[in-house]
Amino acid sequence: MTATLSAIPETAAEVVIAGAVVRCAGAWTVDRIGPLERRLPRLDWPDGERVAIDASGVAAMDTAGAWLLQRVLRGLEREGRSATLSGLRPDHEALLRMVGAPGLAAGPAEAPPGLGPLARLGRRAWASGEQAVGILSFLGEVGIAALRSVAHPSRIRWRTVLRNVQAAGFDALPIAGLLSFLMGIVIAYQGAAQLARYGANIFVADLVGLAMLRELSPLLTAIIVAGRSGSAYAAEIGTMKVTEEIDALRTTGIAPMDLLVLPKIAALVVALPLLSVYADALGVLGGTIMAKSELGVGYADFFDRLHHAVHLSDYLAGIGKAPVFAGIIAVVGCYQGFQVTGDAESVGRSTTVSVVQSIFLVIVADALFSVAFSWLGI
Amino acid sequence: MIAEATSDLVVEVRDVHTRFGSAVVHDGVSLSVRRGEIFALAGASGCGKSTLLREMILLHRPQSGSIRVFGRDLSGLSDEQALPLRRNWGVMFERGALFSSLTVTGNVGLPLREHARLSDRLVDEIAAVKIGLAGLPPSAGPKYPAELSGGMRKRAALARAIALDPKLVFLDEPTAGLDPLSAEGFDELVRHLKELLGLTILMVTHDLDLLWRVADRVAFMVAGRIAGVGTMQELSGSEHPLVREYFYGPRGRGAWEQSWKRR
Repeated sequence: MTATLSAIPETAAEVVIAGAVVRCAGAWTVDRIGPLERRLPRLDWPDGERVAIDASGVAAMDTAGAWLLQRVLRGLEREGRSATLSGLRPDHEALLRMVGAPGLAAGPAEAPPGLGPLARLGRRAWASGEQAVGILSFLGEVGIAALRSVAHPSRIRWRTVLRNVQAAGFDALPIAGLLSFLMGIVIAYQGAAQLARYGANIFVADLVGLAMLRELSPLLTAIIVAGRSGSAYAAEIGTMKVTEEIDALRTTGIAPMDLLVLPKIAALVVALPLLSVYADALGVLGGTIMAKSELGVGYADFFDRLHHAVHLSDYLAGIGKAPVFAGIIAVVGCYQGFQVTGDAESVGRSTTVSVVQSIFLVIVADALFSVAFSWLGI
Repeated sequence: MIAEATSDLVVEVRDVHTRFGSAVVHDGVSLSVRRGEIFALAGASGCGKSTLLREMILLHRPQSGSIRVFGRDLSGLSDEQALPLRRNWGVMFERGALFSSLTVTGNVGLPLREHARLSDRLVDEIAAVKIGLAGLPPSAGPKYPAELSGGMRKRAALARAIALDPKLVFLDEPTAGLDPLSAEGFDELVRHLKELLGLTILMVTHDLDLLWRVADRVAFMVAGRIAGVGTMQELSGSEHPLVREYFYGPRGRGAWEQSWKRR
C-alpha cells in the first residue's frame, strides 16, 4: 500500500452568497482558487454589520487558500464589519490562524515609484560617464601592474601567458584563416567586375593587397578575437567574481591583476599581430585564386604586381594596429569581468557589453589610425 | 492533488545500483519513507547519499533498481508524466540554488506563477506568507540572494521549496554552513513546518545534532549500502563498526549528550 498521486475530483473554491447567507465551499487550494480570486472584488456582500460565513463546505485547504480566506476576512474588517466563521474543519482552522499570525508579512512591500524620462536619461548619462572613468582608472591600474612586472620579471607568469597565447591565437587560426580567405575572395570578385570593364585586370593585386593588408585583415581578426577571447575573459573573470574566487586570490596574496589580467593582455598583444599576418596571407591567397578564375590573372603576374603595389609601410601599418586592438580587447574584456556583481544575469550582461564595447572601440581606433596615417603620409 | 492515501509509503527505494564509470556509488540500496515522518539519510561524505537524493528527484538515473515516489515508478517517466510529481514535492538544495536575478519574493513566487493561475498580487502575498513561515523578516522579501547571509539564504530556499504546499520536501544538507545557533533555529523550523503543513520530509545530512533532535528515522549509509535504519536510539545500539565510530566518536558523543540535556 502506498501513498498515491491520483487526482481526486475537487471543485474549485467558491463563495456563494444567497441573501444574508454566505457559504464557502470547494477546494481552497493553490490550483483551485484562481477563478475565485478574480471574482472576489465583484462579490455582492450582504448588508449589515455582521456577516456570518458558513465554511462547512470547504473540502480542502492549503496555505494559499487559507491566505485568500484570511484576506476576505480582513477585507470585511477593514470595512468596519465583523465576520464570524463557522463550520471550518479544525486542521483548516489551524492553517487559517497560522497565515493570519501577526508578524507574518501583511503583504508585499510597495514597489519604488518609477523614474521619469529625464531622470532615466540623467542616470544613463551618469552611468556612461562612470563607465568611461572606470575603464580609464582600470587602464591606469593595469599600467602600474605592468611596470611592476617589468621591474620584477621573475614575477611574470610565462606559463599562463603561453597558455593564453595558445587559446586566443593558435586555437583561432582555423576561423580567422577561413574568414580572411573568404574576404579575399569577396573583394577580388567584387573588384573583378569593375576592373574588367576598364581592362585593368592586373590591378586586382593592388585592390586585394592594399585592402587586406592595410585594413581588413587586422580589423577582421580583431573582431573575431573580440568575439572569441574578449567575451571569454569577461565571462571567466565575472564567474570567478561570483564564486568569490577573486577574493580568494586576493586573500592568498596573489594580485588578480598579475594572475588574470596581465597575462591575458600580454598574450593577446602577441597573438593578435601573429593572427593578422596569417590572415593577411590567406586573404591574399583567396584574392589570387579569384583573380585567376575570374580575371585570368596568373599567379606569377599577380605576385609580381603585388610586389610593386604594396609597400612594406602598408604591411607594417596594418600589423602595427593589431597590438593596439589587442590591448583594447583584453582591457575591455577584463574590465567588464570585474564589473560583474553577484548574479548570473550580470555575467551575461558584462559578456555582451565587453564584445560590443571592444568592437566599437576597435573601429574607433581604426578610424583614428587612418586619420593619423594620412597626416603622416604613410 | 494527492489523494488522502490509505497508506503511508511516500518514497520506496528498491535495490538501487548506481555507477559512475567504474566507481560504484550504490550497491543495492533499499529504503522506504513513511507518510508524515522526518526521514534522514546520514553517512560520511561521498557515501552516495546525495546521489540517492538526486535520483529520487529525477535529476539522475540509477543503472538498476526501482524508485517509487507517491507510488509512481520514476524510471521511464516523461517530463509530462513527471510534472504532477514535481508539483507535489519541494526541494531545497544544499547551496540554496536561489535564482540570483530574482528577489526573494520573486524566487518564492516563481513556482506559484508557473503552476497556478493567480494574480500577481496574490502570488506576492502568498510568497510573503511563505517567507514569514520560513522565519525570515518581511524586509527580506525585496532583497536579492546576493544580499542575504548564508542562514537567510537557506531559509529563502526553504520558503521556495514549500511554495506550492508540497506533500514531500527534500532537504539537502539543510544545516551545512550554518553557525550552531542558526542551525538550531533551523532544526526547530523544520519540525514546526512539518507539524503545521503536515509534510513528509526527507533530508540528507551529516549533522549529528539535527539527526538526534529532528529525525524520526535515520538510514545510515556506508559505502553505497544501507548499514542500518531506525531511530537514533536504535542505531546507536548498532554493531556496525563504522556506525559505532560515527556515533561514539568525540563529536557523536557530544551531540548525543546535548540531545539528552535538552530533553
